[in-house]
Amino acid sequence: MESIIQIEKLTKRFPVGTGEFTALKDINLAFGKGEFTGFVGPSGSGKTTLLNIIGSLDTPTEGEVTVLGHSIAHLTHRQSAKLRNQHLGFIFQTYNLFPVYTVYENVEFALLLQQMPAAERRKAVLDALEWVGLTDKAHSRPAQLSGGEGQRVAIARAMVKRPAIMLADEPTANLDSKNSHHILQTMAQLNKELKTTFLFATHDEKVMAYLRRIISLEDGRVVKDEAMTPQRQPGV
Amino acid sequence: MLAIKLAFKNIIGAGFRTFLNIAVLSFAFVVIIWHNGVIDGWNKQARRDTIEWEIGRGQLWHPTFDPLDFLSYQDAHAPLSETVQALVEEGQLTPILIAQASAFPQGRMQGVILKGIDPGQKILKIPSGLLEARNGQIPALIGSRMADDIRMKEGDQLLIRWRDKNGTFDALEVIIAGVFDCNVPTIDGGQIWLPLESLRQMLNMPGEATLLVAGENYTGGDAEPWVFRSQDYLLADLDLIIQSKKGGGAIIYGLLLVIALLAIFDTQVLSIFRRQKEIGTYIALGMTRWQVVGIFTVEGSVYSILAILLGALYGAPLLWYTAKVGWALPAASTDMGISIAERIYPVYGAGLIAATIVLVVLASTIVSFLPARKIARLNPTDALKGKIQ
Repeated sequence: MESIIQIEKLTKRFPVGTGEFTALKDINLAFGKGEFTGFVGPSGSGKTTLLNIIGSLDTPTEGEVTVLGHSIAHLTHRQSAKLRNQHLGFIFQTYNLFPVYTVYENVEFALLLQQMPAAERRKAVLDALEWVGLTDKAHSRPAQLSGGEGQRVAIARAMVKRPAIMLADEPTANLDSKNSHHILQTMAQLNKELKTTFLFATHDEKVMAYLRRIISLEDGRVVKDEAMTPQRQPGV
Repeated sequence: MLAIKLAFKNIIGAGFRTFLNIAVLSFAFVVIIWHNGVIDGWNKQARRDTIEWEIGRGQLWHPTFDPLDFLSYQDAHAPLSETVQALVEEGQLTPILIAQASAFPQGRMQGVILKGIDPGQKILKIPSGLLEARNGQIPALIGSRMADDIRMKEGDQLLIRWRDKNGTFDALEVIIAGVFDCNVPTIDGGQIWLPLESLRQMLNMPGEATLLVAGENYTGGDAEPWVFRSQDYLLADLDLIIQSKKGGGAIIYGLLLVIALLAIFDTQVLSIFRRQKEIGTYIALGMTRWQVVGIFTVEGSVYSILAILLGALYGAPLLWYTAKVGWALPAASTDMGISIAERIYPVYGAGLIAATIVLVVLASTIVSFLPARKIARLNPTDALKGKIQ
């Protein structure tokens, strides 16, 4: 299978006081289209840092990370913004919805950046909201939603532009069990139908139950990379 | 366009804080227009009154005449040439003869300036028609300030003493034929207007004048020995006073604007600190840092646009009302030595309003941009974690 993400000898260090903290060390990984993979490990193991670098929100200190043919280290701000806007979707632990916008406007936001024509945009937003089952909440504000609904809006916002890669950082950390499964079902369905690659940073066992590949990180190193047979499947 | 739309949503969403910012800014906006309107109104009124009552379309001065040097009056006079006399008869010029004298109201002695003017002249608004001879007595006109100073009213007799061309003292009683109201202090305070021919006889200066005031139709320049002083020359001092008044006013409304802009600056600094995750999310969703800077900068501009709309809402009727009823000045202001009406009618020109709008929008945009520049340097992962310092 052709890789859409390649990571070679990735090291990431952060300055801490007068010294440095190594968040990732000598990581070598590759991801193909349609993967449903999770980075797992304790806090500080480097999961989020790895997602951030793949998402071009951060750059490697050493090594090479290539996403959809783009070398992350060599992208300008404008190029990395374009990559994120057109090909990457982000789902955050705290949803990060814009509080002053309605659900519809939150989902529409990424398409406005793409300057998509209004009619096409409207259809895409309504489709996305239908996907996550929130058509009736289109005119609500984020403050009027439950946690599960908020995260579903975040998923709709991420998937509305049909990205090749979805990066989800602890997407279920603030959700109860029922909502977590609802969210994960939705994402697994998207992965199955649209062949979107999903990369998770998580230590939630509910998430792990859906993953087809689990990469364990510890102190910034990959300690285990194993293919899994998912215990949970979309719609099950 | 997207930035404007987002900025509108964000600041409307900010609720009461937005209202306070736009309320203060709109107040500054209205005060700036009002203050400049008053200055412009005063400027127009002062120029109009000075032209109509004192300087006409310019003046021809005797070469030695200096209005600020009373001692120059003694020698600043000359007979009118035939050419000039012809222009006087055509109504293009009107001669004024000026001399120093003393008046003795209620037994007190007071230095005055005697000014002779043709009772039939039509160039100046001074009611010189009241100077037509009556019962063999020389009629005199004084302004209301002078009347207050010397406690005289129409019909009162006033003793004046002067020295003629040869330095001989003489004195007589004139009758106050009228008291005129005028906003131009330089034709009022300390001055007594007499019929030109009477003053010529008193000074032994037949056919002479100190200066000539030009009317609408006067097109000539200098007329030997007379030196032409244009309106601009004669209004230069007034323009300087108005400029300095504008400068003083600019400091006051500048301070007001600074307070309003400080509120916006403060809000923007707080906003960037509070909305770190939002900034990080904008970047994660595909905005460049400078696009986010644009949103925050435009937010400041939107404050100013809302302030202008709010200002227009309450300011338009308020300013219209002040332009209609005018602004009454306190009595003491008439003693300032410059042309000030008892009531100034502000003039709010389109240029003034447009310039104020540009000033307010530009200043708000700049103070919003200053803190927003910080976004361009931030790390999006720090922003998403809320770690901006």
